[in-house]
Amino acid sequence: MSPAESGKPRPDLGDAVAAPYWEAARRGELALPRCDACGLVFAYPRRFCPGCWCGERTWQTMGGGGRLWSFTEVHVAFYDDTWAGDVPYVVAVVELDEGPRLLANLIDSDPARLRIGARVRVTFVDRDENLTLPAFKLAP
Amino acid sequence: MSVLDDIAVVGVAETEIGKLPGRSAIQLQAEAAVAAVADAGLAKADIDAVFSFSGYSQAMMLHAARVAEYLGLRPELAVVTDVGGPGTHHAALLNAAAAIDAGMCTAALCAYGENGISIRRAGRGRAPGTLTGGEDFEAPYGQIAMITGYALFAQRHMHLYGTTSEQLGAVAVASRHHASLNDNAHKRHPITLADHQASPMISSPLRRLDCSLISDAGGAFVVTSVDRARALGRPFARVLGYGAAVTHHIPSQAPDLDSLGGPTAAARAFERAGLRGADADAVYIHDACTFSVVAGVEALGLCGPGEGGPYAASGALGLGSAHPVNLHGGMLSHGHAGGVFHLLDAVRQLRGAAGRRQVEGAEVAVVHGNGGVFSAFSTMVLGREDP
Ligand SMILES: [Zn+2]
Repeated sequence: MSPAESGKPRPDLGDAVAAPYWEAARRGELALPRCDACGLVFAYPRRFCPGCWCGERTWQTMGGGGRLWSFTEVHVAFYDDTWAGDVPYVVAVVELDEGPRLLANLIDSDPARLRIGARVRVTFVDRDENLTLPAFKLAP
Repeated sequence: MSVLDDIAVVGVAETEIGKLPGRSAIQLQAEAAVAAVADAGLAKADIDAVFSFSGYSQAMMLHAARVAEYLGLRPELAVVTDVGGPGTHHAALLNAAAAIDAGMCTAALCAYGENGISIRRAGRGRAPGTLTGGEDFEAPYGQIAMITGYALFAQRHMHLYGTTSEQLGAVAVASRHHASLNDNAHKRHPITLADHQASPMISSPLRRLDCSLISDAGGAFVVTSVDRARALGRPFARVLGYGAAVTHHIPSQAPDLDSLGGPTAAARAFERAGLRGADADAVYIHDACTFSVVAGVEALGLCGPGEGGPYAASGALGLGSAHPVNLHGGMLSHGHAGGVFHLLDAVRQLRGAAGRRQVEGAEVAVVHGNGGVFSAFSTMVLGREDP
């Protein structure tokens, strides 16, 4: 792991509520909680359903498809050189077919082809030996 | 009757703005504080409450107690408010109003400021660090600066409504023109639309000249009761209406553009004031980026939803128009430091003390905007009152 990679923000993999999300990503699956009371599929994972405050949920594997809700190509490494090797990189908000929106990087996609509403598919990036991040790419 | 009806902003002050090495954030806050109390016609012994926020470049616990101690004050109340954007200062006014109503204070000092440039150059700048809640799911992707979040909304506005980079540029040019009329502004040399279009892309579609400044600066204001304000013998500002709306914190959790909290906050404030956006003689919009102003004029009802770009490009933002926006130069050109300067300049306009950028006979000013990325909106309608 390069110093820049180690300096990047990391989620708390020990957070019991979110752990299934990161474990699924390690397996190459995008999973989100579905509320046992009202049926809402929600992101990000948290203790209570944001719709009805029910505390019980069932993890559900998403289909992995969605549409580009918005995106930005970031040209500057902010604060210090942590992201200097990544610029330009694309930050996107994707609306999954199941409804929730996720923010993630859009990778392996020609920036000139990016359009809001474009179909995207989930993919996975290993940041290090413990952390795999869901990401998206333009659907072929 | 609301406790807000009985308070007055009687003093405002700001420090020099720009790169001010060797002046700590709390020093800048103290300099503005002492000057604001003097501007109010009050003295140290009159101040019995402190409201403050440290700013984000050097976030501090118990900041208001630190300010009170630094200034040698022993007030009953020393309270931090951190709503984000103008809401941070509006919440100080709300707290001061309640404290005055409760008999807990008679004159409150509200102090803000950051050394956003100099702290960074000293190598102690904010680094991506501890995450909480939803940030765990965004920051690992390099969603670490506010501007990239704003870019997501600007991009979507362009897609939905046809807004253009040139229209955003009109906001930057108008702000700089106002700053050129303000001797204390950080950036005063005029810019053109061509300068805007030639400035480097930071986070598409936002260019460098779409982004607010980073500044070393302090700003402060003083709040007291209307009765006490009258006794001070100078024009002052009263709160005519206040409204707020919070919908989310991080971008992925936001509602779509047509459901952000801006119009809701504005509608609440205007309903309480019995006024509307078109009644504002001077408009102040928390301009984290040029697009914030486009969204802001829509939220305030100065144009229709989605029409903020053409509205900006029509020249409607400038001094001399019916509802000029950010007459001090805004965070795009005057200075950042948490955005307290919008409120300060609104008060100056209402007191007729805005110099070359004064709107003749200004009676109503509006301060509007958000903290976070369109997360927590706050709108305050202020009116001129003569003693
Ligand atoms: Zn539920």
